[in-house]
Parts: sequence; C-alpha cells; structure tokens
Amino acid sequence: MRQTLKTLCGLFGPSGCEDAVRAWLRGQLEPLADQILEDPAGNLLVYKKGAKHLRHTVLLSAYMDEPGLIVREIEDDGFLRFAPVGSADCRYLPGKKVLLGSSGIPGILGMKPIHLTSKEERQTIPKTKELYIDVGARSKEEAEKLVPLGTYGCFASEPLELSDQLLCAKALPGRAGCAVLLELAKQALPVDTWFAFTVQHRIGSKGAFGAAFRIKPDLALILDGYPAGVCPDKANAPCLQPGSGPVIAYMDHSALYDRSLTALLEGVAREKEIPFQPGVWRRTDTEARGIQRSLGGCKAAVLGLTVRDPDSPLGCCSVADVLAMKSLAEGFLAKLEDNYG
Amino acid sequence: MDLKQALFTLSRSAGPSGMERGACDAAAELLRPYVRTVTRDVMGNLVGIRTAQRRNAGCLLLDAHLDEVSMLVSDHEDGMLKFQAIGIDPRILPGQSVRLCTQPPMMGVVRIKDSKGEEDPEKAPAMDRLRIDCGLTQEQAVSLVPVGTRVVYGTEPFLMGEKTVCGKSMDDRACFVILARVMELLQDKPLPVDVCVLGSVQEEYTAVGASVGAYNLLPDRAIVVDVSFAASPDSPKAATKPLGSGPMIGVGPVMNRAMSEKLQALAKQKQIPYTLEILSDYTGTNADEIQISREGVAVCCVSLPLRYMHTPIETVDLDDIEHCAQLIAAYVLSLEEDAT
Repeated sequence: MRQTLKTLCGLFGPSGCEDAVRAWLRGQLEPLADQILEDPAGNLLVYKKGAKHLRHTVLLSAYMDEPGLIVREIEDDGFLRFAPVGSADCRYLPGKKVLLGSSGIPGILGMKPIHLTSKEERQTIPKTKELYIDVGARSKEEAEKLVPLGTYGCFASEPLELSDQLLCAKALPGRAGCAVLLELAKQALPVDTWFAFTVQHRIGSKGAFGAAFRIKPDLALILDGYPAGVCPDKANAPCLQPGSGPVIAYMDHSALYDRSLTALLEGVAREKEIPFQPGVWRRTDTEARGIQRSLGGCKAAVLGLTVRDPDSPLGCCSVADVLAMKSLAEGFLAKLEDNYG
Repeated sequence: MDLKQALFTLSRSAGPSGMERGACDAAAELLRPYVRTVTRDVMGNLVGIRTAQRRNAGCLLLDAHLDEVSMLVSDHEDGMLKFQAIGIDPRILPGQSVRLCTQPPMMGVVRIKDSKGEEDPEKAPAMDRLRIDCGLTQEQAVSLVPVGTRVVYGTEPFLMGEKTVCGKSMDDRACFVILARVMELLQDKPLPVDVCVLGSVQEEYTAVGASVGAYNLLPDRAIVVDVSFAASPDSPKAATKPLGSGPMIGVGPVMNRAMSEKLQALAKQKQIPYTLEILSDYTGTNADEIQISREGVAVCCVSLPLRYMHTPIETVDLDDIEHCAQLIAAYVLSLEEDAT
C-alpha cells in the first residue's frame, strides 16, 4: 500500500490532464478487471465480479486529479504567467518547484528576494496573476519551445516519510483513494463491484457525473481526503488528526450522507476495532455532488482520509489510516449482501 | 571542474550561520586540488592558500561565505516545532521541506497552524503561525529536537534548461565554486602574489568570519564575491541586472577605485560580459568588514547575479559563474604588472 501510494502521488495529474495517472492505473488493473473502460470524460471505469451478484449496483469511487496550473501567457523575457487549475491554494505556491507538461519540464514559482519587499508585501498572499514561472529560458521563443501555451503543471515534490506511519506527498486526497481502490481490486471481492477512478473532481466533480450515469449505482462509497485540524467554517467541529482513523462523513457542503450506509460503516469499524473520526462538515464538495443525484438517485457514503495541508506540495497522512480505510471498505462490501442482497 | 556538479554538492551540504562544518568540509574537498594548504581557523573559516614564487609578493584575499540563511527552533507545541528566522520571507515557507541539523539529521515540512477560521484570508501567515512538522509527538519533539536546533531548507538542487541551476544556498556557495574555479584556471600559472581563498562563516549574521579571517591573513587587496539581485518580473528594474549578464563589478565608496577600474578594463580586454553594481553605501557583504581590517584593505565586490535570494530556489547561470571566475583569474595574473 505504501509503495502504491507513493507511486500514485508521484504521478502528474492536474484536473484536465490526468492521463499519466489513468495510464498507470489501467496498467495495474487490466489483468484484474472483468471489464475496463475509459469513458469520454476520461474516467477509468473498472468492473470486477465478486462472490455474489447483488440486485443493487455497487460503486466505489476515488478521483485522480490534483491541484495544478495552466500556462496562459509567455513574457518577452521568457517568464510564464499561469492560471490556477483545480483550486490551487496560493499560500503554497511561492518558492516551489513545479513540473510542466507530460515531459516534466522543471520550473519554479519565483518570488523576489526579501531584501526588495516591504512589510506590507510580506503580509499579503500574492495573487496568481502576480506570480510567474521561471523555466530557465532567456527569451519568449526559448520558453515557447519548452512550454507552449496551455501546458499544464503541478507540484514536483518527492514523497517524504516523516516516520513509520506519516507519509508526506502532493495529491494525497485523491490518490490515497485510488490506492485503496487498486489494492481492493487486487483481492477477491464479496460482491460484484464497479470502481470509478474519476477526472476533474477539483473543478466540480465533472467526471463523477458521467461515471455515475453510465454505471447507474444504487449504493456508492466515495473516498476522499479531509483537511486535518482545520475546521474553517465551523469553529466547534472536532479537529481531525492523521493517525486517529478514517473519517466517516455525515454531511458536508455537497451532501447529507445515507444514514443506513454510515451506520453500516460504523458497524464494520466497531466489529474490526478500527478507530474512526466523525466528519461533520467540510467546505468543499465530495464526488457525491455528481453521484448522489445521478438518474433516480443513489445512496452514498463517504470514507475519508485525514490529511494535513491537503493542497500543499507535501500534505501529510497516516499510512495506518489508509490501510484502515481499505479494511473498512472491504467490510462495507462484505456487509452489503445482508443488507441489500 | 564540472561547475554544475560542484554547485550541486555544495548546495546539498548544510551550513547555517555558526554551524558551517558540513558546508566547510564539502568546500574544502572542492578547493584542495588547487591550493597548497587548506586549514580552518578558530572561527571555523576555511582558508586555502597558494603562495607566489617570490617572497613578500603581497597577498590577495578572495572571499566567499559558506553559511546560509536558516531557521532556529524556539518551542514545541503538540509535537510541532515553533521557529524563528531572520532574512526569510514567510510566504515561501508553507509546504516547504526542511532539514533539521540534529544528529542524525531529520526532515520536516512547514505547516500553517490552523486558526479556526479567524484569520484574514488575504493575509499571508506570519512566521508565528507557521510550524515545522516532523511527525513527532510532543514528548519526542522535546527530546529529539531541543530548542535552538538549526533548520535549513530541504530542497534538492536541479538544472533548468541547459545552464540554469536552481537550489538552496546558492548564496553564497555558488561564489565559493567561482573561487575554486579561479584557482583551477590558475593552477599551471605562476602567481604574482599570494592568493588566499577564504570560505568565511557567519556572513548572514554578523560577518565575524570575514573580520577574523582578514585579520589573520593580512591581505593588501581583497575581492569579495557574493551574490546580488538578478532581474525577475516582480523586482524593481533599477535594483537588478539580468541573469546571464556576467559579473557585476562593484562601484562605490567601499570599493577601491583602482581595483574596480582594473576589473572593468580587464573585462573589456578579455571580452567578458559584465555590468556595474552601484553600491552607494554599505555593501551588505563581507567587503564592509574586510575594508577596515588592520591598517585597511583595498577591496572590490564582484557579484554573481542570482534570482530569488534567500529562498529554497535560488537560481544562477553557469555562464555567469564561469565569467566571474575568468575575470577574477585575469585580475590575479594582472597583478604581475603592478609587481614589476
């Protein structure tokens, strides 16, 4: 699991350019799947038969994309201007290395030396239109050859292990879910299951809509990341911490989750003695935005991974939590027959 | 000398001001083949000397500092480390990997302390809202990372395009690479003066290294090689020179005028691209200290253009490094005329 996670997080996949992630996952899943397809949006949809066929269609979903940027202008002296993609957080951009395009051209988000800044400037988060990328080009022509307009970019950080348990990497919220689904798909499953690895979650769960429409799920378990500690809109919400177990979500900005499914997850957690943390709020959407209201509706639940600074080049999660997520998802599938057979 | 490889090696070593040993050792290895002696003085300065053929030929000091900007652990909070830093813009820190100078070294990541949504979303987190996350419990943090532990950037150097190198501590290790390259260029040539290469400590704090180093070496002249501001879209044009425009030769009261003019003349003669750096007051480099050593020393600054100073992505041009080295080597050889 650790290696799968590190490999997945190392791949290039800003929203709208998830090709490398999809290709790698497809390579892994091809021998395991009973059916595998890439839909027009770019989602990777995988069907695997289990021991039982349920009347209900079961979907497990995770997203492949991560925050990034797209080159929108090249200046005469060879610097690039860009737009953020997938809600990149400006607090993490200055001074960081990025990779541009599928060939991975290295670039940096420069910032003028502290000696030339005012106190006011140092207290203000720079806006993306003020930021620029340096790729070492000395002219517009040189830069254009390396990085044409419309090239995507994302953070270039190498995964870093702080301890046996704590893993730091970019792209954790989506890719941890992908890692869990991949590891699940390697096992014998209790029931027939669809796996959706979706695109463009970070710009409004764009991939999830089409994936759900095609699969027509009745029951969905959605994997996602949750920011640790921070509870931006609800000061009284409990603070989530990596290492304290997966998050079982009850509500967030996108949905109220199905109480029978959350109860089922809680039951599995208690039975397997897996600690979990309640997810009572978050400001951003989960894939439920696209899945819950698909066709005639779908019962949906969310299983979350707590990540410190999820949108930074080195977010941090507990590997034990990721393994526990897999164990909960496994138990969830096993219990479906009793409840929805 | 493979300039890129030399830059990578020195960039990777750790040398916060006052704890330069790691950087000094790497610098000593780089310099050793081109000088007669390599020693370390009481302050920790690295001193490499190659003497002239004649006795009493005079002494030229070439200085580049080996320390780097750093942070210092000031407290522990729920396993996270509070820290202080001087000379670092806090806006470049969130999400940044750092290396703690513990035994053995430890990696960490700078986080923004959550504040329950009280903060102004436009406002950049100040240093006191940042924490270093090493994945430790409070107990572990207190015992493994004592208050006072020094912290440097954790970034790996890399090449952008064909001749742009990016990494931490290019200020001022890139200039030490220049000095090693100068000595390489001079290695088969007889020297008109003694040349002392000073890899000085603590420039980023009080410049005590240069002060003591200059006192010990008794130079007549000194060239101080440090970095200066290269142009970027967000820097004022008047304060910068383009990356790749060659050495910046200092002009101003601290600079010995004859030395400055000689360097300019040599650059023209050897067709080395250069610009002038007008330093109207204190230079903010070791030149300020070396100028007033003992009876006084004739000094001149030769600066290497560098983008994003004091960040983990300091950026330099390999051609600029070579041009700085060629200019300084030409200056050393030109002292023959003065001697005869």
